[in-house]
Amino acid sequence: MKGLPEIPNFITLLRHHMSNQAWAKVLYAWENIIFSILIALFLSLVFYFGTRKKEEVPTGLHNFLEWLVETFRMFVIGVLGPDGEKYVPFLGTLFIYILTMNLMGLIPLLKSPTSSLNVTIALAIVVFCYVQYLNVKNMGIKGFLYHLAGSPKDAVGWMIAPLMFPIEILTQVSRPVTLALRLFGNILGEKIMLGFFALMGITLFYFFPIQTPFMFLGLLTGVMQALVFTLLSTIYILLSVPHADEHH
Amino acid sequence: MDVQSALALATPLGLGLAAFGAGIGLGLAVKGAMEAIGRQPEASGKILTNMIIGAALIEALAIYALIVFFIALGKMG
Repeated sequence: MKGLPEIPNFITLLRHHMSNQAWAKVLYAWENIIFSILIALFLSLVFYFGTRKKEEVPTGLHNFLEWLVETFRMFVIGVLGPDGEKYVPFLGTLFIYILTMNLMGLIPLLKSPTSSLNVTIALAIVVFCYVQYLNVKNMGIKGFLYHLAGSPKDAVGWMIAPLMFPIEILTQVSRPVTLALRLFGNILGEKIMLGFFALMGITLFYFFPIQTPFMFLGLLTGVMQALVFTLLSTIYILLSVPHADEHH
Repeated sequence: MDVQSALALATPLGLGLAAFGAGIGLGLAVKGAMEAIGRQPEASGKILTNMIIGAALIEALAIYALIVFFIALGKMG
């Protein structure tokens, strides 16, 4: 977004001070990708070194990580039922990754990569492909097409099937679009708001950081949107399993 | 009025209208969920999960308006 105030991160600072260097421009063009890779590396290292020592009674970081994974596992199983165990690694990675990316924008000199549409669309496409794979795997291609036609059972059902088919296709396609845009819109809005308040603090209040209370709001939005993204992915997986209602 | 100023006037208005409707919908959804939790606090986990799904679906309508806004923003040039 051009022309909007933005809290600087170390890459924009580098570009600002070394604007004649070619590598600063390259760094700036790859800004979001660099930040998302940094976060992925950070998370991998934390989880690798946090769980390296296998103890019977975990302490410190190990304890926290186990608590995190266990809580999330119970959450997924609560939505998907006991069969949901195998989706925990995918959904958990998604949740922790998005949460860290959202909260990263609140740390000075860092930026949320999720405030760029490219990153959120990539995440949504991953979820979309996985859900379509599960659809075909669980129902078979014929079963999936039957499901897309609205599962007609009688003559009336078959008559409105041509009407149902485009609607169901539109539903499937609109899912990744809304997933990506919801995350992007919320995080970008938060970033722009922080930028405006920081600018106002600098120009009107002699560098007083009046954006601080809004950073707590950003904390809330970040956790909320990560949860919503993961929860919706969980629901899409749940809907891809046929006859999900019979278990209840 | 040329096309660009018409777009510049209409798109924020449309976004505001979409946010208005989505706000009413979200308010109703959260109201129902809170009342349900008040009546049955032990089911709060399930109610909150379902409320977030519903809220996300309502929010999708406002997001469609945001897409239109971005498309129109590209046309305003």
